[in-house]
Amino acid sequence: MAYDSLETDVLVIGGGGAGFRAAIAAREKDADVLLMSKGPLARCGASPMAGADFTLDGHSLNKLGLTGDPNDSMEKVFNDIVTQGFYLNNQKMIDHYVHRAPELLKDMLDWGLDYYFSDQRAVFTSGIHIMDVLLKKARSAGVKMLEDVMLLDLAVQDNTVKGVLALDIKSGKFMHLRAKSIVMATGGWHKAFWPNTGMRDLSGDGVAAAYRAGASLGNMEFITFCCNVFYHPPIWRGSLAPYILSLLCGGLLTNSQGQDILKPYDEYTVKIGTTSEWNKTFLSYLTVREAKEGRGCAHGGVHYSRGDVPMSTINMFAGMMFPNWKYKALDLTGWGKMLENNEPAEVGPAVEYFEGGILVNPQFETDIQGLFAAGECTTGLFGANRVFSAITEMLVQGLDAGQNAADYAMKIKGHNNMSNRLMDFERKAESHFANKTGINPAQIRREVQEKAHKYLGPIRNARELTDFIVFLESIKNNGIGNLHISSNSRAYNKEWIDALELPGIIHLLEAAARCALARTESRGTHFREDFPATDNDRWLKESVVSSAGGKLHVATRPVTVLSTPLPSGSMPYLEMMKKLMETHSDTGGHH
Amino acid sequence: MTEKTIKVKIFRYDPSVDTEPLFKEYSVPFEQGMSAMNALDYIYQNLDSTIAYYDHAGCCLGICGRCTGKVNGKSGLLCQALVEDDVVLEPINMSRVIKDLVVTRSES
Repeated sequence: MAYDSLETDVLVIGGGGAGFRAAIAAREKDADVLLMSKGPLARCGASPMAGADFTLDGHSLNKLGLTGDPNDSMEKVFNDIVTQGFYLNNQKMIDHYVHRAPELLKDMLDWGLDYYFSDQRAVFTSGIHIMDVLLKKARSAGVKMLEDVMLLDLAVQDNTVKGVLALDIKSGKFMHLRAKSIVMATGGWHKAFWPNTGMRDLSGDGVAAAYRAGASLGNMEFITFCCNVFYHPPIWRGSLAPYILSLLCGGLLTNSQGQDILKPYDEYTVKIGTTSEWNKTFLSYLTVREAKEGRGCAHGGVHYSRGDVPMSTINMFAGMMFPNWKYKALDLTGWGKMLENNEPAEVGPAVEYFEGGILVNPQFETDIQGLFAAGECTTGLFGANRVFSAITEMLVQGLDAGQNAADYAMKIKGHNNMSNRLMDFERKAESHFANKTGINPAQIRREVQEKAHKYLGPIRNARELTDFIVFLESIKNNGIGNLHISSNSRAYNKEWIDALELPGIIHLLEAAARCALARTESRGTHFREDFPATDNDRWLKESVVSSAGGKLHVATRPVTVLSTPLPSGSMPYLEMMKKLMETHSDTGGHH
Repeated sequence: MTEKTIKVKIFRYDPSVDTEPLFKEYSVPFEQGMSAMNALDYIYQNLDSTIAYYDHAGCCLGICGRCTGKVNGKSGLLCQALVEDDVVLEPINMSRVIKDLVVTRSES
């Protein structure tokens, strides 16, 4: 099969915020930079879908001339991120986040970032706008870019990264990309679940490829589900519009029996769990609890209506967030009428953010030399639960990963000829065309996605996790090798794309399920029905996943502590959550 | 659940094999509030997985704009086109077809 071949100093894989920020940083160090994006430039991945807020301490916001709480500090933000993460965070990564955030925001403002408003410790803008600012900057800096190009495999020699095999999705042609260093910035793996809140490209290709090439992953069991996402009608499914409105103005959540689902819970936890971004973890847990106990609505969710919030309040916030009831191109006019009549819409949790991912050192380098990683595809910063902004994460980590990848690349002379290795990958990718009969990748993908949503949701137990692992193993053993692609045409072959993404998705789900099964406690986004307490004596440690002899191996390692000591003792999950909420600093806002 | 089904007629063309385009019709279960993209997803997953429409990186929420096509002759986003009855889906520009509803990008 013919292929296109390219060489670069630094290859950035991922067309979201972390990838663009890394590319700009590497280019500013005079490295030759190529960025490959699986979808359209600046319009794929999770970044353009974000609301979006950039969080940092209010005092630094003030110093930049924006509204912010002058009594806030980096130390307060640091402590809040630690407690929100149930103490599982890598504290060195938090320290980096809080200290880097102001200069990253300043860069963005200098490059033309507009914002709606700022509050105590956040600047509110939109994901699309952030991406447009980054795209413009990357273009003027001379970053080369490819779009609709998908990562297939990483070529590694002597534990050093050398290049990748990629696929030009539209033509179906392979690409050989040789690089002196690589920044992985492929974000989450929302596509392993249905429904989800991400773009359809997020299948975790980078995390899975890094794992196959020998990099360790961590904390894979921690997955944030956004609450109050539309479940119905289908045209709105996955949209965060009700999440945004409920966070800003409140409202009423009821189960199929018409009961207020918040009523049985502690008043303080409900207050913080509905008016701050703690709502994702708290309300997702509550919603799944309703469904599991037989009080879910038609599509497995709960009903959201405005309750006793006056329509004038709804209109005020809706007018700001969804002018004329349009959210981007989504026409929400019908929902506006439903709210007016106090008619409920069905909402529920959908996968939104992955706390787990590739393990990196303080230089954002992975276990593989020359392979760096940034943003959501890494792990550590948010521990077991994210409340602070992932927008800030992608920018601060993108900057460092990009600079370090450029420094690394500049020390290397010439490129290795990896043709043989890349040709092996090509044969593997083409093998799917050889099967004359077999399983349809489209159907198997949907089955996997629905089971992942059910068994790897906010509430887990040993029986379901074990069933899920058996299911994944059966697909690994009997499914992946037997996928049948009905058309031999290479150009935009959806079945082939599904077949190429599936093995990685299965690996990541298995890693998450095995970590979740091993963690016999409840912490952050991970609640175990059979182990409902947060166990600080036995489980204040990170999960580490590595490949040992072709098998997935789960181990643990100590939490990286910098200044905040770890707690001890064991406590019921919701009591622990309340205690963590109570330790929040005196700075207001949603974070 | 409603028993209603709708007929979805789709422009099909694979330039590497076909001499000329043709239309293929599929029977899809109707669901209140479904989009053209929801109908395509159903067809891809249940009826004919050789069909191509831009979704490997689509947002399905009217943000990325890549699923632009023609619905009953009118251009718009497939993910935001409400389908209520029989419908015809075509690419936005027949001269730029890579496969079925997927087109190369215009120069602009």
